[in-house]
Formats: sequence, structure tokens, C-alpha cells
Amino acid sequence: MLDRELKKGSAELLILSLVEHEPRHGYELSKLIDSRSNGAIRFHVASLYPLLYRLEKRGWIEGRWVEKAGQRRRRYYRLTAEGRRVLAAQRRNWRQFVEAIARITGVQHA
Amino acid sequence: MRDAHSEASSHDWRAQIAERLTSLRLAPAEEADLADELSQHLEDRFRELRIRGMSDQDARRVVLEELDGDGSLASTLRDVVRRGSVPATLETPARGSALGQLRQDARYAVRTMQRSLGFTAVVVLTLALGIGAATTIFSVVNGVLLTPLPYRDPQQLVVFYGTSPEKQLAEVSFPSGLFVAVREKSRAFASMAAFDQPGYTLTGRGDPVRIDAATVSEDFFRIFGTAPIMGRTFVATEYRPDNITVSVISYGLWQRMFGGDPKILGRVIKLNGSPSTIVGVMPREFAMPERTDVWLPLALDPAAFGCWCLDMVGRMKPGITADQAKRDLIATVDAFTLSRHDIFPGAKPEDHAKIIVMPLVKRIAGDIRTPLLVLIAAVGVVLLIACANIANLLLARATARNREMAVRCCLGASPGRIATQLLTESAMLAGTGAALGLVFAAVALKLLRQLPEGQIPRIDHVKLDPIVVLFAVGVTVACALLFGLAPAVRAARVDLQTSLKDGSRGSSSGGARRVSNAFVVVQFALSLVLLAGSGLLLKSFHRLLSVDPGFRAENVLMARLQTPYPRYDNPQMVRSFYDRVLERVAALPGVRSVGLTQMAPFTRGNRQENVIAEGQEPKPGEQVVVSNNRTITPGFFDAMGTPILKGRSFRASDGPGAPRVAIVDERFARHHWPNGEALGKRISPQGDTSAGHWRTIIGIVPNMRHSSLGEDPSLQVYESFAQQTAWATYMIVRSTREPRSLVSAIRAQVAAVDPEIPLYGVRTMEEAVSQSLLTRRLTNGLLAAFATAAFLLAAIGIYGVISIGVAGRMREFGVRIALGAKPGNVLQLVLKEGVWLAGAGIALGLLGAVWVVRFLRSLLFGVSAFDVPTFVAATIVLAFVALVACLIPARRATRVAPAVVLRE
Repeated sequence: MLDRELKKGSAELLILSLVEHEPRHGYELSKLIDSRSNGAIRFHVASLYPLLYRLEKRGWIEGRWVEKAGQRRRRYYRLTAEGRRVLAAQRRNWRQFVEAIARITGVQHA
Repeated sequence: MRDAHSEASSHDWRAQIAERLTSLRLAPAEEADLADELSQHLEDRFRELRIRGMSDQDARRVVLEELDGDGSLASTLRDVVRRGSVPATLETPARGSALGQLRQDARYAVRTMQRSLGFTAVVVLTLALGIGAATTIFSVVNGVLLTPLPYRDPQQLVVFYGTSPEKQLAEVSFPSGLFVAVREKSRAFASMAAFDQPGYTLTGRGDPVRIDAATVSEDFFRIFGTAPIMGRTFVATEYRPDNITVSVISYGLWQRMFGGDPKILGRVIKLNGSPSTIVGVMPREFAMPERTDVWLPLALDPAAFGCWCLDMVGRMKPGITADQAKRDLIATVDAFTLSRHDIFPGAKPEDHAKIIVMPLVKRIAGDIRTPLLVLIAAVGVVLLIACANIANLLLARATARNREMAVRCCLGASPGRIATQLLTESAMLAGTGAALGLVFAAVALKLLRQLPEGQIPRIDHVKLDPIVVLFAVGVTVACALLFGLAPAVRAARVDLQTSLKDGSRGSSSGGARRVSNAFVVVQFALSLVLLAGSGLLLKSFHRLLSVDPGFRAENVLMARLQTPYPRYDNPQMVRSFYDRVLERVAALPGVRSVGLTQMAPFTRGNRQENVIAEGQEPKPGEQVVVSNNRTITPGFFDAMGTPILKGRSFRASDGPGAPRVAIVDERFARHHWPNGEALGKRISPQGDTSAGHWRTIIGIVPNMRHSSLGEDPSLQVYESFAQQTAWATYMIVRSTREPRSLVSAIRAQVAAVDPEIPLYGVRTMEEAVSQSLLTRRLTNGLLAAFATAAFLLAAIGIYGVISIGVAGRMREFGVRIALGAKPGNVLQLVLKEGVWLAGAGIALGLLGAVWVVRFLRSLLFGVSAFDVPTFVAATIVLAFVALVACLIPARRATRVAPAVVLRE
């Protein structure tokens, strides 16, 4: 598991990245984070939804109820224009941060 | 089957969720949406776990565990689902509302403060005391000096009087004739009026009481632009000599004595036994002169030059300055004295009148003005030092928080946001401190009101009014900026690489060190100024307390008496009254001796006369020597505990028919007969050299301080009460027990002789002396407290800076020791830095102190403003404090184990 603080700091970046190209619902997001990180990062209900609502409140993502035939309705989140700008900025910062860490600690990308 | 199961469990999920959300009290629609979304998620997760082969029961347990996470679901959601609330992290949107941002910062600040309670407590308490003290003193400054007087265009109101330094007379009142001439000729004044302040005994309403009255000339009320709230003031025909048939009373007297009776006009009171009709009531805020209860008309006689006893007040014409008014008055008085050789035979064209024109507001503030200004400056300095300390603490903490800031930066917080966040923290600290400080100030003001009346003029205006609160807010903002700006600017300039490298080591960067060092130097400089100033005042006070007042104050009671004229219209009647009173009081158990004097020491006012010594009569144009002049009864010196140095005291036999006698003090004797014997010489205490006015000196006593221990001692002449009778006296009683316990017995004896004569102004001599020192005592106490606070804060400041320096250089010290440095070398290295900082501060402080002490000069007694021992002592104290503060971290440096720090 990743350090709590680090996870908290990076969570927004993860969510924003995942909804960058297509709208996704909460369960889908948690599955994607779990599988793409090979289980290193996990978001459960208690941590995921407050984060989603927070991002929504800030206007970075937007949730919308979608009903499909034969299914219960689900709430899908997509990136807003504002969110797109934030995502770009956070990506830039994150890269700097990782590079800085790398230079100091000698940890390199594989 | 599976569907049925999932339907059932789905309902269950909603219930589980709803139960956890009740504390949020959401709107039904919102809660339904939330439950919909979350229960969907839980259901999906449940199915996933079941598919992976988990048992129904296990899957359910896992899902519910995940639902609860680390804390309660409600608390993690509270921040985000509540309307209007904004999440509490730094990485807010670029376009977040300013208010929301502020609230977020504030909430974050509260959490930061809660995390380090000790630090917060120290900072808040320091600020609370500092801001509280500043606010208290400012409220006094505001009430006494800044609040405009409650009169029309108060800036045009001045008092003026003559002054005669060569006669040791700070203030010389005018005679009626001179005032009338000046009023006619002066061009600078729109109007002016004269007044005198006699006391009267008011009878006819219960017990007889003494009241402060003022006789006022025409225009007096008009000058202030104040109309009576009831009735009228005086009309022209009422300004006749000694006319007390009409009176205007104060709001206070109206309330106190007449219960605010609306039918007060036309009522008759008795003043010294004569009837006087109340024709008007002045409003509450009209207090000219202060504490006046009854105003009476004063007739001016252009031919009267006998009594130099009128005080004057004037309204300058618009656009005229006090300086112009002064030049105008001098020219007017000069022209008059030159034109009246019959009255001023010594007047010469090259001599000029010495006149002081003082704004009324400054006059009312009186002696308290300088101490107040000194104190407010001192408290400002202490606050400044405290702010520097807090800034250093925050800087050190900012260093420790470098990583936090770096991480925030990485996550998208702009430098501006971080700086704002830190400033918000500072503002919250300052705000909390200020709130507490205002509570302190309110308590302190309550205590100030308990001071004896008259210690602080205009005390009614001293309160936490909007201006004072505004001041407190201003000070708070200034403080927050002062101690918050440096850390905020530094944090905003955070450099990712250095922070992450540096931060791991916990030392601070060069820039921060330089700022901290500068703070320490300034702290030491300011502390030295305060210490030196406070030292000078304390030394003055010590000198004052060791002054011999010329009497022994313990077990002495004084009280005032006045035989009312015209009921007592001749000296025999007056003497007979006092003789009987003295006889009765002397017989009381517990009374050791009793005497009368016209003017007791340490009371308001004085009586001075031109006194001429036989054979030393002044030539025309020469200054006559002025002496304090009192008439006393034989028991006076005994009651005061004053020894007779030579000759004898008065006796009962020194009566009206006996040869005229006088007693003088040592200074008088030495002044007139520096090498000879004063006993047996003759003087004329009223400046009248015609036959029959000469008195023979029969005794010499020590000089008695009259109004304060610190005064320039004046020459003193005493006459026999039996030969020079006074209507108004102070009775001085020396007792064998607590003097206050005798008051009612003495009062009864006076009433037994004449029930219409009140005993008033009762005080013990010790109270009178200590009250004369009260302002000084308060000033000294506060200043000493401020100085102590200042150098303690400076000590903490230098300790902190050296400690942080040492912590950052542990590796270096390790290397040095590994390479053979002795602990002594390391100690020296650290101390050198401390010595340099403290030394620079002290040097700067000495320069500052030399410049500042000039403002203290009027408060000093028996000490030069440049008293070297005081400055040396202040320097030593500070240097010692600095050394101790540096020694602690320096010793830490010497105990470095090289193997440990080098491996770290």
C-alpha cells in the first residue's frame, strides 16, 4: 500500500486522469485504480466518494445520472474544462516532484 | 434466486447508508441520491467479492468495513455534501471564491494550531498580554489626550498664566486689574474669562458639606459654547462683588443632592450660611474647572491689583495659533506694565512678561501626559520584540514544514496560496491573542477606575470605545503582518529542490538565518533602551523615597475645617472656635498632639508671599524673594513630627497682643544669612516694610516638602495663628493608634462646638504622600514590567536562533571534533555568534537609549538622563542574559558524538 499522505495528495490527479477521455462511474473508477496500480492503490467507498464530491464541488468534474435499459441508474463523472486545466497543471507539478525525488533518491524509472 | 438475493441486499445497503448519514441531516432528495449512488457501488463490490468466491457473509462484512473506512462515513462526507462548505485542502481551484478560500484557510489554520497546542498557547498568551497592555494604555491616552473636550471648537480653547522661574513660581495667576486690561487690548482672542476656585460649605440639606465652587467672570460659559440644560447662567447685573445670591449648579450636585428634582430652579441653598438661589443646571459633561459643583458670578475690578489669584481661560480667534496668542499676550502685558508705573514701578522696556499659553486639553491632562506617552512607546516596543520572537518561531517552524510546503507546491498550490495560507495562520494567532487581550484590557480598566479620584483626569472618557477597539484591531493586524510576513514570503519562495534536500536535515537556509539574526539584534537594541529607561526611573524613585520630607507621616491624620464668613466675621470668633475644637480633640484618648495649619503638606494649592528680611530690602526693580507662607498653631510641629532645630516653637503666649514672631526653615535662614545667625532677625512675611509688619524669628525648622517629594524645596515661613488668623485650616492630629479610627470622635467634637461646620478632606498623611507617588509608582511598575518582558523575550529570541543554528551545524561540529577540536573550541565558536549578535544589539541599543532618554528627563529625580551606572548595569544584565541563553545550545554542541552525527 502507498503511504496515506502520498495517496491523498495524488488522488485528485488519478481521478482527473481517469475521467479525462470518457465519463466513468464510481465503482468503475475504483476498479480501474485497483487494477492499473496492480493493487498498490485502492479506493473504497469511504474515501472515493468524498473525493469525487469534492472535485465536483470545485467544478473540476461533473456527475450526471444515466439510466440504461434494464439497469439501475448510475452516476457518471466527466472532466470539465476547468478540470482539464487543473489536470494539466497537476501533471506538470507531479512530474517535477517525481524528478526531484528521483534526483535526490537515485530512484529511476524502470 | 441471485436477483432476489441482490434485491434484498440492495435494500439492506440503503438502510446501512441511511443510518450512517443521519447525523448530516441532509435534504431528503440529496440523501436519496447519495444512497442511490453508494448502494449501487456496494452492491457492485458485493457481487465482485462473491464472484471471487467469498462467502455471502464474508463479502458482506468486507463491504461494510470498506464503507466505514478509517472513520465515520458522515464525517468524511460532512465537508463535501454540506451546502456552501469547501473542502479543507490547499489545492483549491484557481477561481475559488475569496470568501470560501478564506474559510478554508481559517479551518486549516485552526487545525494547525490544534496540532501544536504548546506553541499556539505561548504565542497567543504573549500577544494577549502585549495587545492587552497596549490597548489599556491607549484607552487612557485616548480618553485623556485624544478625545476632544466636550465643548464647541475645543482646539481654540486655551488657558494662560504667567510664570516666574527666577522666583521658583511655575505659575503666576493674574490680578483682576491686569486681566481686565489684557481682555480689552488683546487681539488674538475672541473672548476670555477669569475664574477663581473658592470652597464653600453648603448647608440646609442634611449634614453640612464642602463643595468645590468656581466664581466666574462674564463670558465664562459663552467661551465653552455650553448652555445649561435647565434655567440660565448669570446676567450682566448679577456680576457684582461678592454676589452669591444666585448660583448655577452641576449635573452631579443636582443628581447627588437633589435627586434630579425637575423643580430645582428657584430653590435656595445656603453657602457659608448665606442664601443663594439656583438659577441653572449645567450638563453632565461640563466640568470647567474640574469637579466644580457650584458656579457663582465673579465681578472684575479694573483697579484691583492686590490678589494675584485669578485663573484665565480664553477662546482664540479662528486661525490663531497658541504661539501667536502668546506673543499677543506678552505684548499686551508689556504695554500695560510700562504704562502703569504706579503699580509696576520696576517695569523696564527691555523686560518682557513671561506667559504660558496652553491648550485646555493639555492642561487638563496635566502631569500624566509624559508618563502616558512613555508607557505607550514602551508597550509598543515590547510588542515589537514579541512580534520578532514570534516571527522567529514561525520561521523555525516554516523550516520544519518545508516538506509540507514542497509537497503542497507539487500538488498544485501556487506560492501565493501558500503565503496566504500562512498569513491566515498568523492572523488567526493574532486575532485569538487580541480577543484575549481585549478581555485583559477590560479587566485592567476596571482596576484603573479603582484609583483614587483625580489620579487620572477625565477617567470617564477612559473606556473600550470604538476608537480603542479600532486601535486594538490595527495593532493586531500590524502584529500579524510583522510576524507573519517573513515566514510567509519565505515559504512562498520555497524551492522544491533545496526544500526537499534541506528539509531532511532540519536546518534553515541562509536567508532565513539572516532575517532571524536581524530580529535578534533589533530585540537586544530595543530591550536595552527599555532597560536603561526603566532603570533611570527606578533609580529616581529610589532617590525620591529616600528624601526626608521634613516630617514623619506615620500615625498622622489631617482634615479640613472652615469657619464660614460672614457668620464668623472677626478673628476673635474664629480663634475661639478653633481653640475650643483643639482643646476637645487634644483631650480625646489616642490623640498625642494636635495643631492647625493654613496649608498642609501634600495637598492641592499653596500659599506664597513676598517675604522681606530686614536689612535686605530689595532695591527698586529687584526681585523680591517668594516664600511659602503658613500660619500655624503651637501644636503643629509636634503633630507633624518635625523637630525644632534652633530656638523654640510658638507658644500660647505668642498671642495677638504679644510681640510678632515667626519661624523659618533652614533654607530660608541659609538664603538670607548664609554665614550668620537667623534667630532674632526680623522679617516681613507679607512684603510690607512699614512699621508693625516686622516679625522676629524665634525658631528654625527643617524644610518640609510641600506638594511632592521631588519638588525643588522652597523657602518657608511660619506665622503664629493667634497673630495671623486664617478662616480655613487643616487640622493635623498625631495619634497613638491607627489614625483613621479617630475620625468619628474628632467629627463629634467639631460638631459639638459648631454643628454647621463640616470636617472634610479627611486623609492620613501616609495616604497623601503615597498618593503623590501613585502616578510614578504606576509608571515605574508598568515600565519595569515592560522592560523585564522585553529582555526575557530577547533572551528567548537569541536562545532560539542559536539553538537552531547549532542544530543545523551538528555535522560540522562532529567533523571538527573528529578532527581534534576540543569542546572548548566548539563552545567558543557558538558563543562567538551569540556575542556578536547580542553585542551588535546592545551597541545599537546604547545609541538608541542616548537618543531616547531625553524624553524621560521630566520624569527623573536626582539622576542624570545619561547616568552611566544605569547604562552599564543595563548592558551587563543584557549581556549576562545573552550569555546564559547562548550557553545552553553551545554546550549541546560540545557534546556532539562525531560517530553518531556523521553516520546520520
